[in-house]
Amino acid sequence: MPLAPVELGFVFLLAVLGFLVPLLLIASQAKRARSLAIALIIGGNLIGCFVAALCFWRESILLVNFSRFTPFPFALGIDRLSALFLLLICTVAVPVAIFAVAYFDRHYDARRCNWMWAFFSLFLLSMIVVVTASTGFAFLVGWELMTLLSAGLILMEGDSAERRHNVFIYLVMMHAGAAAVVASFFLFLPYSHSLDFGAIRAVSAGVPAGIRTLIFLLAFVGFGTKAGIIPFHLWLPRAHPIAPSPVSALMSGVMLKTAVYGFVRFAFDFLAGGPSWFGYVVLLAGAASGLLGVLYAIAEHDLKRLLAYHSVENIGIIYLGLGTSLLFLTNHAPLWASLALIAALLHTFNHALFKSLLFLGAGAISDATHTIDLEELGGLQRRMPITGTTFLIACCSIVGLPLFNGFISEWLTFRSFLAGSVLTNTKAQIVLPLMVGVLALIGGLAAACFVKVFGVAFLGRSRSAEAEHAVEAPVSMRAGMAMLAAACLLIGILPGLLLHPLTSLGQVLIPGSGVPEETLIIARVIPWIAVIILGVVVITVLPKRTQRMVPTWGCGLSQLTSRMQYTSTVFSKPIRFVFSAVYRPDRKIERLPTDQPYFPVSILYRSVRTTSYEKALYRPFVDLIVSAAHQLRRLQTGNIQVYLLYIFLTLVALLAFLRFQK
Amino acid sequence: MKIAINVLQALILIMGAPLVRGIIGRLKAWIQRRQGASIWRPYADLAKLLRKEDLVPPSASWVFRCAPIVLLGATIAVAAFVPVVQSSALLASRGDFFLLVYLLALGRFFLSLGAFDGGSAFGGMGASREALVSTLAEAPFLLGLVAVAILAAHADIAGMVTWTLQQNFFNISAVHILAFTSLAMVVLAETGRMPVDNPTTHLELTMIHEGMALEYSGPSLALIEWASAVKLHAMLALLIALFGPWGMASSVSVGAIGVALLLYCAKVALLMVLLAVIESGMAKLRMYLVPDFLGVASAVSALAVIFTMLVKR
Repeated sequence: MPLAPVELGFVFLLAVLGFLVPLLLIASQAKRARSLAIALIIGGNLIGCFVAALCFWRESILLVNFSRFTPFPFALGIDRLSALFLLLICTVAVPVAIFAVAYFDRHYDARRCNWMWAFFSLFLLSMIVVVTASTGFAFLVGWELMTLLSAGLILMEGDSAERRHNVFIYLVMMHAGAAAVVASFFLFLPYSHSLDFGAIRAVSAGVPAGIRTLIFLLAFVGFGTKAGIIPFHLWLPRAHPIAPSPVSALMSGVMLKTAVYGFVRFAFDFLAGGPSWFGYVVLLAGAASGLLGVLYAIAEHDLKRLLAYHSVENIGIIYLGLGTSLLFLTNHAPLWASLALIAALLHTFNHALFKSLLFLGAGAISDATHTIDLEELGGLQRRMPITGTTFLIACCSIVGLPLFNGFISEWLTFRSFLAGSVLTNTKAQIVLPLMVGVLALIGGLAAACFVKVFGVAFLGRSRSAEAEHAVEAPVSMRAGMAMLAAACLLIGILPGLLLHPLTSLGQVLIPGSGVPEETLIIARVIPWIAVIILGVVVITVLPKRTQRMVPTWGCGLSQLTSRMQYTSTVFSKPIRFVFSAVYRPDRKIERLPTDQPYFPVSILYRSVRTTSYEKALYRPFVDLIVSAAHQLRRLQTGNIQVYLLYIFLTLVALLAFLRFQK
Repeated sequence: MKIAINVLQALILIMGAPLVRGIIGRLKAWIQRRQGASIWRPYADLAKLLRKEDLVPPSASWVFRCAPIVLLGATIAVAAFVPVVQSSALLASRGDFFLLVYLLALGRFFLSLGAFDGGSAFGGMGASREALVSTLAEAPFLLGLVAVAILAAHADIAGMVTWTLQQNFFNISAVHILAFTSLAMVVLAETGRMPVDNPTTHLELTMIHEGMALEYSGPSLALIEWASAVKLHAMLALLIALFGPWGMASSVSVGAIGVALLLYCAKVALLMVLLAVIESGMAKLRMYLVPDFLGVASAVSALAVIFTMLVKR
């Protein structure tokens, strides 16, 4: 069969990531081999971008079938939804790989570096398999590989007990989630008789309502665990911060999105909506994740943990859009459903861009200063101008300020909430417009949080010697960050570039919808805003202004020190005070020595955010499993006669089963 | 012609802003039995500051220098949204109120960063307090506008104003009263007025906006002052356009525009008197009472949204 260029490109991408690069890296330790491998990864992903873009506009679905070589049908296919996520993976992978060139070189010896790149490449492959799978088997293989490879990448960075504990939690939660995903696939099996996506889609309307509900809930929990929605987010702030920065960027920027992909595939493509409480469940999960995620983030001063919590927040915003879309779908408003879905998918794409940029920035900071504790940073903007400027662009994007990409998707989400007021269903009519307030609060808190992050880390005076002597990141790291920043700005100012294809995707996923007017409005007005602001900038910058450097006013003190600046902790204090019900801080003050309370030699103050609700939620469950395991241990006596008895009893039971089945 | 009027409206909002400040200052002085400065004083201040040199702290980066410019740019873009003498404005039919609120956030974000760049405690202090106030003000701001938008069945400001123009003033709904209450409270918080912030104070324990502008001087300070004046004026004009647009010119003729302009001046004057009375008659709230103040605004605006269901025509 002659292969079309698109198919050839896709197979080339798979072959490069899956075989060529790992083989090359394992076979040879030479620096030249590594350079070739990196070039192949970047080239392969660039081709992947083109393949995705071309597939998006094709009528037919591109299908690559490997079923001949595998025990179960294993086929990869690219329809519009897959093409969007393939584009997302490849677009983010290129700058992250470019960043990683210098990052891996500076952090690992040659052998470890080779392993890193091999795993990096396979990790990308596993995510591509997940989003392009067109059979359940292929999907689950990719899903499992994705978890294991990312855990491997985390463990390669180091091997301390704490790290192993965090990876353990990560793996346990991922497998609990994966079990739910497997179950939701298998529930289709009695009706479709195969796990082929086409077959599932064809029969899904005929599946009984009870089973549909079960499938939806299992998919919601399974994909929600991967996406990190609250209360399934426990692993996220543990696993993301300890990975190497380029890997964190991929995990937060891309891996979480595969869960969004899976959920959209199930909820919209397979099930095509459901009763209205589906929508409310998703909406509630989104609101809770958004609010709690950003509130936890603002209390952090470890940069990567803070960013991990912001992933929870942004997944919450995506779920708000998805929930709204499901609600509209139930209420027979396909046009608005498609608007909300477009908003959610665009936010997915945007989040991939700015969150990976933020994690790369955190990597550049830790590379230059050997810390990611905000309280130890400061004044980096003047020492690392490119890192700082790209990081600022990412901050503006994640906050959702106009002219940056995050705004476009948040604006569309806002407008879909507002559109809820035209529904005839009374409950939705009130709930959806009120969600505007929730999203506004999330946006306001995110703005406060990123003023803190950028202000404390990059502006003002340096708070430590490391920050004082920081030097700008090497070329490849800067190039990676600049590419992502440029993408954020491009989508922010010319949103039509992505909105146009997304509207056609909306029409495919939600039959009967047209082109929502809002997508055209925003694409028209944003360039005007850019022109106005740019005009003001030009007018105010043009006149010659004289400047003089004078020391900051120090209230009469001759010398201000960096310790006199506002810190990250004190900046967030008012907000933590107002929302103290959420944090429930556990404060301890110890005065030493204890017998002289009024003349202490030293005072220790400790404030820990308690995780009482997490304990209340997870502890009983974990206790149950542990006690069940204890009970089960009685079976394992270690006595061979008992095991023979088990085998005998099993045999008898099976024979009896066969006998009675006839 | 229509575009010319739109440009004129934006110019009124931008150029008239210092005058609004001057008049409010004069009114407050009059209520407080002081002599008071001339109402043209803010213009003189701006001219003086623009001629001076910029003093830049040694720790500052380009963010410090750019912050006032972005702030002014974003605020001027906001001014292009607000109708004054006719029911449309430069961007009012294209952009909606979400864009307006987020443009204000853009300016505030950069000013807060500029405050951090000075490297003193006061900048961070001002930014931290501003973060608290604006975080809590954003939800009631948007919800109040959502309530009006639901009634008008339009999200663009021109559509909302046109709808209100067609209504009878005496037939106004409870939604409008609730939305106006919450938005008025939010405007006080957003523009840094009593009882949330004191625009005339330089006491480090109380200042919010002034704390952020403390390290700025010369032309940069002029841009910040001008931007905050434009913001105040635009917010007042927005309240007028949404809740009392009657008298706006429906046709493009010199007479109609003139009448509309006079009526607009009268309405702004009324709001300025109200503002001066509130500012002279109230003490500034303690920092941790501000969340309660904005909590009330949030509750009122949420009620406004819920009530839209009951009065929908």
